[in-house]
Amino acid sequence: MATATQTAQSTSMQKKTKGRIVVDWLTTTDHKKIGYLYLITSFIYFLIAGVMALVIRAQLAAPGLEIVQTKEQYNQLFTMHGTIMLLIFATPLFAAFANILMPVQIGAPDVAFPRLNAIAFWFYFFGSFVAVAGFFTPQGAASFGWFAYAPLSNTTFSPGLGGDLWVFGLALGGFGTIMGGVNFITTILTMRAPGMTMFRMPIFTWNTLVTSILIIMCFPPLAAALFALGADRRFDSHIFDPANGGPMLWQHLFWFFGHPEVYILALPFFGIISEIFPVFSRKPIFGYKTLVYATIAIAALSMTVWAHHMYVTGGVLLPFFAFTTMLIAVPTGVKVFNWIGTLWKGSITFETPMLYSLGFLTTFIFGGLTGVILASPTLDFHLSDSYFVVAHFHYVIFGTVVFAMFAGIFFWYPKMTGKMLNERLGKIQFWLLFVGFHVTFLIQHWLGVIGMPRRYATYLPEDGFTWMNALSTAGSAVLAVSFLPFLWNIYITYKRGEKTTLNDPWGYGRSLEWATASPFPRHNFTSIPLVRSESPAFDLNHPEFAAPEAKADVKKKG
Amino acid sequence: MKFNARLMWFLTAFYGVAAGGYMIWYANTHNGGFEPIASAAIGMLAVMSAFLAFYLQMVDKRQGSVPEDREDARVEDADFEVGYFAPWSWWPLFLGLFAAICFAALAVGWWLFFIGFPLALVALIGFVFERSRGQNAH
Repeated sequence: MATATQTAQSTSMQKKTKGRIVVDWLTTTDHKKIGYLYLITSFIYFLIAGVMALVIRAQLAAPGLEIVQTKEQYNQLFTMHGTIMLLIFATPLFAAFANILMPVQIGAPDVAFPRLNAIAFWFYFFGSFVAVAGFFTPQGAASFGWFAYAPLSNTTFSPGLGGDLWVFGLALGGFGTIMGGVNFITTILTMRAPGMTMFRMPIFTWNTLVTSILIIMCFPPLAAALFALGADRRFDSHIFDPANGGPMLWQHLFWFFGHPEVYILALPFFGIISEIFPVFSRKPIFGYKTLVYATIAIAALSMTVWAHHMYVTGGVLLPFFAFTTMLIAVPTGVKVFNWIGTLWKGSITFETPMLYSLGFLTTFIFGGLTGVILASPTLDFHLSDSYFVVAHFHYVIFGTVVFAMFAGIFFWYPKMTGKMLNERLGKIQFWLLFVGFHVTFLIQHWLGVIGMPRRYATYLPEDGFTWMNALSTAGSAVLAVSFLPFLWNIYITYKRGEKTTLNDPWGYGRSLEWATASPFPRHNFTSIPLVRSESPAFDLNHPEFAAPEAKADVKKKG
Repeated sequence: MKFNARLMWFLTAFYGVAAGGYMIWYANTHNGGFEPIASAAIGMLAVMSAFLAFYLQMVDKRQGSVPEDREDARVEDADFEVGYFAPWSWWPLFLGLFAAICFAALAVGWWLFFIGFPLALVALIGFVFERSRGQNAH
């Protein structure tokens, strides 16, 4: 087996010219390579949108600054920051991790539709480019906020090519996401290895399945809404005309997509965390089935809460949406309980992925708690569209997506490249990121409470917002600095990182990806181990502690 | 597979109850009024879930017990043939590029659409018929 892999590798190394490598990447249908393409592209957009955020923070550092030349540019910056972070960074990042890991975790050689997978990526890639291409037009990019409320988003109030490109670019990217979702569902339902029953799938795979179901429920309404908005902007239709209730229709359509979207961003990253905690606590996940049911409950409920974004319109049934919104805190709480139960009395070690997972847990719980506050209509009337909301969703989204992304990258880097990232740099990066993040965003809760509205380009000294904004900007600088150790880490690992020859470099890996070579072979496995529990790699590598079913099976075989 | 159908039936029931609950709640607080948007949105989720549940149930019935759903299945129980996986393909790249030109054309102007659309059509046909070996091959 080992020799076979070695010859395969050496022959593939011989013919790899630079042109060949480029062609390989452009024409690839390999789910892992497509996943890496997603990962690299979305990370680059993450850095771009991060720089936009730094400019926004610089503009708000002191009252009356003019870091950006016009207020219109400021509007473009926060619009594109939101758009890129939500739709061009975080959603594809789900596709990245799901592509790289999910087929391996279920013991499949590839996804069900490899070429559809490639199309999904290229739709995202080119669609995203179209959406941000507004920056290259004379009037600049879209500037109506990332949720494009009607009538602000029509051509009377936001003329210009940038907005049109935004609408159609996102529509194309959305189709890519839908295709990806269909592909993941099919793969999970039909391509599991023998013995890999639904209730032996790793939590990450479960969350991928549930997230994909959410995608096929909520992305088509977004596509419909975007095409209708495009028709309004380009072909003089009047779908979102205020004269016939267009603003409410847009808000309903947008948030019917927008709220499940938040859970599309959250659930896969909950999955990553659920993979990491057991490995570094040396314990099986606590309450596997409750975690799965909690995920399903979150998915079901998340489709019925969207109008909590619309409390202040006065046009929605407040008690219903407040009730469902508060109800969704219950399964989320169950998950947090399970994670803590996994850590409880475990032999915990604090490698970088574990640090990031703990960073996720603390940050996300803050965001979840302020979410319950905002779910109450009476409190929301005061806080809506203030910096309290900004702080809330940055805690939720940054807490899940960014912390869990770094946790996942550090955790699976040896699987992706065959090399471990540097631990010391990873820890320096974590503490910079953690401190930088909390200094930036914790203070924004109080900014919101004393009344600073979101999306204002500047404020007056008399408003009393000055020192809090200065602190927040200082925090954002620390946050920005934290990316330097990461980029340096990637570089030195590429240059002189040590190759790991182990299948399971962390020592206590549980799901199937730890039972195959690092980096993955072309079709993931040279041989698939027996699946007798939800942690087949652990059963294989630690037979003395294996699950009872796995032990019984070995005994029977003799 | 049984569980997948049950999962979708569960979602059907949940959205059915949620849509019904919403309509009753709304009627009670608004003098018997009816609010079409959320009723339709949640109600249609129930329809879609039922659709998927029905399909999954039919497949499950037709297929019977499969190795990936048996707790004691071994690797050799699986189908010998895993399926055909395209090793590489140029068409996704081109279809993505030309589709993007078409979509951008909706924003930029029809002249660009007339350039992009034929190209996208070629790419689409190429994508569909690549590695197709006719109806009865394999």
